[in-house]
Amino acid sequence: MISTIITMVRKELTDAARDKRSVMAGLYYAIGAPLMMCGMFMLLIGQITSPEALNITISHSERAPDLVKFLASNEISQGDDADRKQIELIISEDYASNMANSLPAEITLIADNSNEKLQSSIRRLEKSLQVYSAEMGSLRLIARGIDPKVVQPLKVVVEDQATSDSKGGMILGVAIFMMVYAVFISGMNLAIDTSAGERERNSLALLLSHPVSTRDIVLAKIAAVTIFAMVGLILTLVISKIAYGFVPWQELGFSVNITPDFIALMLVIGLPISLMAAALQLFVSFMAKSFKEAQSYLTIVLIVPMMLSMAASYNIAPDTLQWLPISGQMQALIAFIKGQEIPMLQLALSSTTTVAIAIVLAFGMERSLKSEKIVFGL
Amino acid sequence: MIKVSNLSKRIGDVQALNDLSFEALDGQITGLLGPNGAGKTTCLRTVFGLLKPDNGHAEIDGIDVAQNPVAAKQQLGLFPDPFGLYERLTPREYISYFAELNGLSRKDAKNAAASVLGKLHMNDIADRKCKGFSQGQRMKTALAQAIVHEPTNIILDEPTRGLDVMSTRVLRDLLKDLKDAGHCVLFSSHVMQEVAALCDQVIVMAEGKVVAVGSPEQLCQQTGKTSLEDAFIELIGTDEGIAA
Repeated sequence: MISTIITMVRKELTDAARDKRSVMAGLYYAIGAPLMMCGMFMLLIGQITSPEALNITISHSERAPDLVKFLASNEISQGDDADRKQIELIISEDYASNMANSLPAEITLIADNSNEKLQSSIRRLEKSLQVYSAEMGSLRLIARGIDPKVVQPLKVVVEDQATSDSKGGMILGVAIFMMVYAVFISGMNLAIDTSAGERERNSLALLLSHPVSTRDIVLAKIAAVTIFAMVGLILTLVISKIAYGFVPWQELGFSVNITPDFIALMLVIGLPISLMAAALQLFVSFMAKSFKEAQSYLTIVLIVPMMLSMAASYNIAPDTLQWLPISGQMQALIAFIKGQEIPMLQLALSSTTTVAIAIVLAFGMERSLKSEKIVFGL
Repeated sequence: MIKVSNLSKRIGDVQALNDLSFEALDGQITGLLGPNGAGKTTCLRTVFGLLKPDNGHAEIDGIDVAQNPVAAKQQLGLFPDPFGLYERLTPREYISYFAELNGLSRKDAKNAAASVLGKLHMNDIADRKCKGFSQGQRMKTALAQAIVHEPTNIILDEPTRGLDVMSTRVLRDLLKDLKDAGHCVLFSSHVMQEVAALCDQVIVMAEGKVVAVGSPEQLCQQTGKTSLEDAFIELIGTDEGIAA
């Protein structure tokens, strides 16, 4: 029985390796996805580290040249007309004289506070103005021989507890999702080819008329698709490790490292997921009448695992999701990356569920291969 | 030996097999003759356990197909319709793969494949991928697959369809060789000349039932006709679905 399965797996893999469509489907994703992620992270980091210039309307800027210069040094200025935000700063007529006489110099900030899009810009402007105000105040005290510390009774020290790795957790969540998804994409074409495709080419009936049990056939096909999925995962990990080396993590103050430990953990966790992905894809493809029909079914079916892993990386309902298949494994991987303890119980449970689903699907397939309707596509 | 007893099978609204019984003996070529839609393919698929009969059973060398499918199938070789080739494999790989599935070790399977490739004069195409093969080359590959593990019983579903004269001769000679070696050969056909030239026993089928059994000569005598074709029309009572 084992030797029959090995024979079938060997044949399936030889057959698949010669099928350009199956090989390319896996390769495109394994090479393309990490590179795309890499490009996305580079853009993202660029945006986070250099704040965008804020362009506002400053009326009568000639009345407060020093303030305008200060704001400009914080990237707040009049700028071009085209991309000017709906925020106006009016400097009062007596600004200069009040400032000179140590009286409150009036400036007016006009903006729609209910406009969500303006919120952060308004806050940024307010903050800059406060900083300028505090600076001026300190200078006046110093001029009068008073230590400015007198008017600063509280000194708030903010200690950021986020370690550099945990800051990258969010970004890495997306990256891990991309790796887990490799398992689904890499084996998909082979799964369709070896089930719906095999029937379309009329070799399924021939195979079934040979002295092999349907269970052996199902096990061999799952094994072949799983091997393809795991190869896809390994490739994705290797490409990711190389590609992420080019992302300028240091600008964010933390780094994302795909360590050998992480790769090992990913492979161990990835195996049950690959098994389930293979069983799911084969099961659905056997139900379909043709290659094309199987393709359209699978794209819909694959949304479910995608949603589960997306939910895990975006921290939606983390308490429930950590027990569910795929999202549970995703959360364990994210925890590992953040340097936290891996939730072993949850990981074990979600992995067991994953394998259980694979077994149920395998039994379903074994039954369906005994059905005339499935075999002959009636 | 292949024996089917009281097979009945309904597919949708059609009674494809209707209390069908016959025997195909070792050392004989048995032809299953019938018009299109008579239930020939359904009958053969039932013998292979691919379809489950509503009633009755099929036996291969005394083994019930429904009860012990793997053991029964080990005594069978199938030349299917359609062929079901793996287009990305070469005939050598294809043939030795099926030999391995029939329980041969990898080495024995390779040797068996090599010998059957030689027997069918296929060495020139043995290591080319099946994709792009001509009908004759496909036929030979499928045939090699059916006989590589030397089963006692060989079943062929419409073996001569789409073949030229040379390929038909190769097939005919091979079937005679198999018969002389004591194998049980059962094939379905609707081509009269083929059946008349080859068969020791003809089973005439129509609407899922056996209409008549006998050698081609016996069938002619029974109906008082001179050719098998006329006898056949007489037996099934209509000339519908007969290929020249």
